[in-house]
This record gives sequence, structure tokens and C-alpha cells, in this order.
Amino acid sequence: MSASVLRLNKVLGKCVYGVRLTKDVLNTSQRVQNMFTTCANVPILTVAICTPISVIVRNTSFFNKLPAEALWKGVTSVSNAGRKRGRGKGIGKKMAKDLNRGQVIGVGKSNIIWPGLTVPVLRGRELVQQQKLPEDPEREKMLIKLRDDMGNFRPLRLSPIERGWSGTKMPGRSIGPPDPVGEETFEGFDTKVLELKSVFNMKGSAGRKRQISAFVVTGNKNGSAGIALGKALEAKAALRKAKNRAGQKMMYLEIFNNHTVYHDFFCQFGKTKIFVTKKPEGFGLVCHRAIKTTCEVIGIKDLYAKVEGPTNLQHIIKAFFIGLLHQKTHQMLADEKKLHVVEFREENDYFPTVVASPATCRTLEEINADEVMDYTQYALGNRVFLKKKRLPPFFTKLPSWENYLKKTQYTRNRDKVKVTLLAEYDEVQSFYTEKYPECVHGYREQTEAD
Amino acid sequence: MFCRSCNMSFKAQCISKINILRHITNQTTGVERDPAPVFFNANVQQLLKKLTRVDLRTVFRTKRYGVALKTPEYKFLTAEELNMVMKEAQEKAEQKLQMPPVVKAHVDEPEVLSYDYELQKHSETKFVFTDISFGISDVERTIVVRDLNGVLRKATPDERLRMNETYFPKPGRKIRMPHMFEKEYLKRLLDQGKYEFVLDRACLQFEPDQPIYQDITATTYEAVDTARHYSSLRSTRHFGPFAFHLAWNRCIDNFLLDLIQTDRLDETVALIQLYHIVNPEAESASAKYKPGLEHKFIQAYVESDSKKRSVLELALQANVELHKQRAETEAGIRRAHGHA
Repeated sequence: MSASVLRLNKVLGKCVYGVRLTKDVLNTSQRVQNMFTTCANVPILTVAICTPISVIVRNTSFFNKLPAEALWKGVTSVSNAGRKRGRGKGIGKKMAKDLNRGQVIGVGKSNIIWPGLTVPVLRGRELVQQQKLPEDPEREKMLIKLRDDMGNFRPLRLSPIERGWSGTKMPGRSIGPPDPVGEETFEGFDTKVLELKSVFNMKGSAGRKRQISAFVVTGNKNGSAGIALGKALEAKAALRKAKNRAGQKMMYLEIFNNHTVYHDFFCQFGKTKIFVTKKPEGFGLVCHRAIKTTCEVIGIKDLYAKVEGPTNLQHIIKAFFIGLLHQKTHQMLADEKKLHVVEFREENDYFPTVVASPATCRTLEEINADEVMDYTQYALGNRVFLKKKRLPPFFTKLPSWENYLKKTQYTRNRDKVKVTLLAEYDEVQSFYTEKYPECVHGYREQTEAD
Repeated sequence: MFCRSCNMSFKAQCISKINILRHITNQTTGVERDPAPVFFNANVQQLLKKLTRVDLRTVFRTKRYGVALKTPEYKFLTAEELNMVMKEAQEKAEQKLQMPPVVKAHVDEPEVLSYDYELQKHSETKFVFTDISFGISDVERTIVVRDLNGVLRKATPDERLRMNETYFPKPGRKIRMPHMFEKEYLKRLLDQGKYEFVLDRACLQFEPDQPIYQDITATTYEAVDTARHYSSLRSTRHFGPFAFHLAWNRCIDNFLLDLIQTDRLDETVALIQLYHIVNPEAESASAKYKPGLEHKFIQAYVESDSKKRSVLELALQANVELHKQRAETEAGIRRAHGHA
């Protein structure tokens, strides 16, 4: 029987396209008729069409057994093992879509006005009738777009100014001035996070106890700054604690000409050593990122610092603060030495400028022969930075380096020539161009077709 | 190679012609005077130095000409050592303030050495022969040109400049004139008040007897005078030539007004003296300055030679009043202190 039904199906399928086959279909149906005894009263043709379309319906499935939440979770969540491997994080993370968004009761595919539901019943004195308006194709597109936007994970966008050292992490980010104490407000202050990490502590009763530790620096960009460590169970609380503690631990640091340190200095905390060098305006902050952030908060704009030894961040910052606090101003140096401190700048053609004078100045006879007279060396406490000689890279000894130099020799002044040509002609062109106009870059001879 | 330099020289010649025309219209005599003997006169030099009003800090000020700054150096010095370095700085300032010479523009008529017409059409280009032996100055160096018609002549000033620059380049000098000296760009720079930059670069790029140099400096000086930005050139090497230019072209009135208003009577007197030396035919030239009688001396100039008489007289009157009041106050103070 099943075979014959299949055959009927085949025939029915074809008969849609051709009337010629109708007779054949009827014949077949008559043959089938004997088998469907229960359907004897029903017209033959109806039976033939109804039977194959009937679908077996199972009324239970996980679609109607589980709530939407659970369904979405099944699609979007990551197994515990997967999470441990870092899956389901960042870009590519699947998120649940709220399909109800953008859908309003009474508004649908066919644009129908429903008085009392989508529009008021009365317009003036007139009763509004239910009415079908032309379909709005935009609505469907809008819905699809809304759903498309919803599904993917978008990382938190921070403007480059408020971004920290790395991604959306806290270190390097600004968290505003410390909270006011009574009526004292910290105007013009800004706090920057230097470190935010979780720390553990063993308790006798509770075992491993986790806390968040925040190390921050706050300052007014004009020499006042403070550092503090804050710990709490939550990052937010730890940051707040650290920030407010830093506000209470302010110190004043000397800044030379509002842009750099007074002199080169060496400082140390534990085994962490920092060599700080004074730099001219426009040099910028060339140092460890934590020192850079600290300098920005203090108000130092130009400096070079080299960290040697362990780079424990808290140690670096503490060493740097110790160094800044131990600086000697020009006046202090002049008073110590009982000599004038005179500044010579290359840009001013080494014109001597007296920056500090002692109350009484010594004469040449009073200066000992073995006295340290070098300004930098004296300010460093009779030390000298060991600057290792930079050896030429190994490849400069290879024969291929010679080859390279020979091959590229003709390009040695290209950049300068380019600048000169741009200044002269507004474009890079040959010196022949004045005489022969075709002597320009990208010249094409004009053909007759043009 | 030479078509461009000829083009340049042609441009320079055009400008020089214009310049000469301007001078002719300025001068009633119609013959151009040579400013060099007057400018190098010792008295004139002294007056110009006085007008420059040397301030060491300004002389040694930072010029931001595109070079990165360096870390300053510091030294511990005793009082004697400090005096010594200050003295050295003063000597250096003298050097730095050496004024660019004011001389007559050269005339383009090179001396012909020989006429060898049999060499006509010997080549398609001129031949330039340069003596590049060591130890000869750029001015004395022998440079000759064989023209296309076979004439052997000495090189024109522009050709000399080109050859000297080719064989002995000077740092910062360009073979072709920088665009900033072209009229439109120059105007923009002068509007921005970058007079010193323009004059510094002009000194570097040109020779003092080049007509284009004289034209550019004249334009700059006139811009300074019109805008009355005298302080932007003070304590620079350009102030002397600037004051000389004003006196030479008989337009010192604006500058004089500025000096009187800022109560710099000694400088006012120096300026008028300079005017008298440069223009001996001026009506007030016979007036002699006696110390203490500055106002009278200035009055003589204002009455007979100034073109802005009313304004200057008002300013002078105000200055006289000021001095009178000051004297009265001083007398009052002395009286209060019990002096006679």
C-alpha cells in the first residue's frame, strides 16, 4: 500500500503541471479506492490530496518545555571546562538576543490601524475605523538590524584619553580627585591607578582570603603628589580607599622650570635602582610607564629614567619619590658650596645666567684641590653614571653588510633631496623638468586615442 | 645648467632696476649716493650702536629655528670667575651684534678680458673657469666665463655666487633663492612679525651688495617702521642698518615719536645726529647739541625737517611737561629732606 501511495504522490506532483494526466490520476485513484474502505463516502480527489500532507505532530519538545532563558543559556553559555580554557570571553562571545525588542502590540507585518489599540478611538468627533494601510518595508529591515546588532559582544570602548596602559584594564587610568574631607576639596587634583591586583591572606579560621589591592598616585600637576595602597574585597572599594589615603599623604616635590627635575639623581628602594636624568623642554617622558604616569600627575614633563634591578612597581614608585624628595634646588647647592650656580644653555650661545647665589661667595684660594666641582657629579653625591659603550651590532662585521652599504649608497641623500624638491616645486620631480616637461613621475605619452 | 641661474639673475636684475628707480624718485638729485662711506664712519657706527640699545639677555635669546633644545649645563663659579665669563659674554655679544654692511648695489658690467671671435659657436653652452685653490676668499677668487660669442670675461656677481656656492657651499645657504623671499610669502612673514627671521636668513642667503638683498631688507625695515615694532629688532645686529635705512630715506619721524614717547632723550638726540650726518644738506644740520639742552636740539629738527610736525611737537611738549614735573617733585623731596 505504501508503495502505491508513493506512486500517487509522484503522479500528483506532476499533474499540477499538465491537465493531460488528470485522467490517469483518476484511474489510479480508482484503483487505490478499494483499499481505503473507510473513506468510501468522501470524493475520491479529496482523499488523494489530503493524505500525504498530514504531518505527525509531537506536542512536546524542548522548545515548549523550557523557558526562553534556559534555551538561550544552552546556546550562549560555555562549559566550565571551556571557561577554564578562556572560551566565551572577549570578541566572538555569544550573547542572548531579546527578540521582543522593537515589537509593539498591534503593530505587525501588515500595517493595520487598530482603534483603541494603536490609535485613539476618536479623532475629533469622528470615530476612527479599522483600516489597512500600505505595508511598511522599513519596519522589517529595522527589526532585523536591531537583532543583528544585539547578538555580538562589543568590548567597552574607552576614548584614547581615558584609556589606561593596556586595553580596558585599570592601571594607568584616571579615577578623579580624592573625596573632599569636610569642607576641604581636592581641586585640580587627579588620581591615577598604578596597580590593581588580587592578593591572598591565610586566616586561621577562614583559610585563603582574597582581597583586591590598589596602588594609586594623586597629584595636582604642580608639585604636590601622594601615593597610597588600598585593600578591599571589591576593586571599586579598594580604589576609593587608596585614592582617599593618597589624598592624606601629600608631599611637595620640587620641579625645575615647571618641566623637569633639578639635576640628575640616583635613587634606590630595596634592590630597585633608578637613574634619573634631567632633560630639556620637548624631550618628553622616556621611562617606565609607572614613572611616566607618576610624572604626569606630579607635573614633570621632561625626564629620562632607567630602572635597574627588580621592577616591582611599588618599589619603583617609592624609589622615585625618595629621589625626588632628596633633590637639591639650585639655591641649596649654592648655599652648600658657597659658590654661584651658573647656567649655560647651548640655544643661548652659552650665555652665563646666574640661577642661585650664596650669601657669601668663596674665592678661588678657598676651594680645595680635591673638591668635586662638576655640577652633575656633586648633585649625584660624588657618583658617576656608568654609561656602557654601545658596541656595533654583530652584522656590521659580515661581508653582506658591506654589500648592503654599497648597494644602498646611492639612496643616502634621497630623503633630503625629496624635502628640497617638495619645498621648491611642491612635488618630487627631476631637475630636467623645467627643460623637458615629460621628466616627471608617472608621465604617460599622449596617444592619438587620447 | 645655466639657464636657471640666468633666470635668477634676470629676476634679480629686474628687482634691482625697480630698486634703482625707487631711489631715483626718492632722491631729488637724481644721482645715487653710495651709503658705504657714511655707514662705516666711526661716528655713525657709534650712534647706531647706541640706538641698538644692547641688552645681553635679548642678544643671547633663544631663537627657535627648528633645532631641538639641549639640556643646560651648570657650573659652580666664584665671583671672579663669574665676572670673567660675563666679560667673555660681552665680547661675544659685540661679535654677534656686528652689523651687516650697508653698501651700494653692484652693477652688472663684467670686465672683458679678451675678444676671441674665432671661437664663436665653439660650444652650445658657456664655459665657466673657477680657481678653486685653497686659501682664496670668495671675493678674490678668479672666476671667468667664455661666452658663446667667444668673449672671455670675468663672471658676473650672480655667476660668482653660483660657482662659489657650488665649490664652497656655506651651511644654510641654498643655491636657489628660498620661496620665503618671494613677494607673497615675504608679505605673510612680515605680517606675522617675523622680521628678525627674514633678516637673518637674508644675511645668510645673499651678499650685501646684491640688489635683491637690499630690496628684501628695505621691505622688512619699512614693515617694521609702519607697524612700529621697533622692539622686535632691538638688541639685534639688524637695528643699526634699520636706523641707517630710516635716516638715509629721510623717514625717521615714526621712530623719533616712539623714542620721545618712551622718554629716551639720549637716543632721540643720537637719531637726529645720525640724520644730520647722513643728510648734511638738511636745514637743521647746523644745530649743535649741548648736553642738558636735548629738547631744544630736538625742537630744531622738528621745526625744520620733520614731516609729521604737529604730532612730534605735541609729544615733545608732553615730554617737556613730564621733565618739568619730575624736577618739581625732586625739588619737593629734597626740600622735605631739609636740603636747600
